[in-house]
Amino acid sequence: MTGLRAIQTIAANTLRDAVRSRVLYVLLFFSLVMIASSVTLAAFSYVERERIIQDIALSSIRFFGAAIAIFVGVGLVHREVERRTIYTILSKPVTRAQFIIGKYLGLVATLWIQLAVMACGYFAICELNGAVLGSGDAIAVGLIAVELSVVVAFATLFSSFATPFLAASYSVGLYMVGHLTRDLRVIGEGSGSETVASLTVWLERLLPDLSAFNRVMEAIHDLPIPPVEVGAELLQGIAWTVAFLAIAAWTFERRDFR
Amino acid sequence: MTPEAIVRVEGLVKDFRPGFGRRKTRVLKGIDFEVREGEVFGFIGPNGAGKTTTLKVLMGLIHATAGDARVLGHPVTESAYRASIGYAPESPYFYDFLTGREILDFYARLTAVPDALRADRVAEILEQVGLTHAADARLRTYSKGMLQRIGIAQAVVHDPSVVFLDEPMSGLDPVGRKEVRDLIVALNRAGKTIMMNTHILHDVEMICDRVAIIVDGSIAYEGVIDGFDSAGEKIYDVTLASLAPDFVEEIATGLDVAPSGRGERVTFRVPEKDVNGLVESALRRGGRLLEVLGHRSDLEALFLSTVNECKENGEGSA
Repeated sequence: MTGLRAIQTIAANTLRDAVRSRVLYVLLFFSLVMIASSVTLAAFSYVERERIIQDIALSSIRFFGAAIAIFVGVGLVHREVERRTIYTILSKPVTRAQFIIGKYLGLVATLWIQLAVMACGYFAICELNGAVLGSGDAIAVGLIAVELSVVVAFATLFSSFATPFLAASYSVGLYMVGHLTRDLRVIGEGSGSETVASLTVWLERLLPDLSAFNRVMEAIHDLPIPPVEVGAELLQGIAWTVAFLAIAAWTFERRDFR
Repeated sequence: MTPEAIVRVEGLVKDFRPGFGRRKTRVLKGIDFEVREGEVFGFIGPNGAGKTTTLKVLMGLIHATAGDARVLGHPVTESAYRASIGYAPESPYFYDFLTGREILDFYARLTAVPDALRADRVAEILEQVGLTHAADARLRTYSKGMLQRIGIAQAVVHDPSVVFLDEPMSGLDPVGRKEVRDLIVALNRAGKTIMMNTHILHDVEMICDRVAIIVDGSIAYEGVIDGFDSAGEKIYDVTLASLAPDFVEEIATGLDVAPSGRGERVTFRVPEKDVNGLVESALRRGGRLLEVLGHRSDLEALFLSTVNECKENGEGSA
């Protein structure tokens, strides 16, 4: 119980700290501007105007959500070490793993609040422009929330041992590769080399498949999304998050705070 | 482990590797010391001697390369027992967007102070460190002395039995130093064992019961500050006046330390059992008693001779 309480306390304080970040508000502002400008961009099209609005708006939410996750997440642990606020926290009955989990949950809570604001903007724009909203839109936004949780987990991992610049570079790299994971096998098969093919198969297994959380097309075209698939994607997201946080805690446990 | 040993360090070694491919540096070279229950223990040494590294090992912030370090009988790698200890780092930095009251509430939550007691406990500690007036001001508006006091307050908000302080008087003006010193004495009187890292010898002389001197990663001295003779008896400085020179000579022949004097005042350093006899015979011979004080070692002389001896030997004599 003491451990849970420590995690909760650190998470609440992280949320309180994170909502003061100017970067977060700048990115949130631009995401809302992008969502609103989807109406203007859709005006250039003669067909499927509502779908273009949905496509641009949901893609903006994904992009800016990931940007907030990475740029706030990479400084998450590093800043605590740099400022030495971690000294007084770890001298209390708080394990390093609890500290990492608390920081992670605090940032996820921050992101989900931002996501809720962006989703409200999206739903309002759709409503005002006659786009039909279905359960697919809610599922798409929900899976963006899962994807962002995974992104924050690996940003936290990189933040636990690297400087913010390096952590941001690693996180952006992994985010981009994570969206190409499904193409890796195709690239390997097309290479004609057995070594490359087996390497790409292993990479596909090792790297997170972030495109699994992308249900934007189904939401736009009102296609059915089987609940089993949503459940599997949710479990996949949880598994990746746990794996990244476990590595982060393991790495952090071995550090000396000089 | 002796029952009264609250902190026990044995053969503690710490190596740092400055960077990939570089040779490691041995910062702690197998140090041993112990802190006993109820004492104020001064851990002193020159800059870079290993004081803060030792304290960080005790706090679990740095992993020891070898050796054993225990606090309250627990290995320092454990976490749960830290509910019974407090730590104030050197030049502490806190979340400056929080107020004094909020930061103490944060630490009280981390140390599982019960909800029903937390607000009262925070108010009590703020009162104790003299920050009630600034309780609801953001920490970014606090002076260095106020932050130092908040640092001590967060270390004791959960009422620990042992408190570790890293350079608690560092960077403070004389008023701030006195306030922090008084606070440490008050905590000790309240029953807390205190280990304090510092290089301000005057403060150590005033409040510490025992000291360890660390030089270049080795313990060069560990012992009391108050004077005791070889039999472990307390030593006193007895200052007398109006004494005949032959009387002074007569007494001096039986003493280990020659009497020191200024004008007609002469100070004799004698063990406790000889104080009454000396005073009575001096009064009989027409002398006057000016003062009797418990002798305190000249820490600065001890410190400098220890450091110089270590430099001459090339290392600390652990």
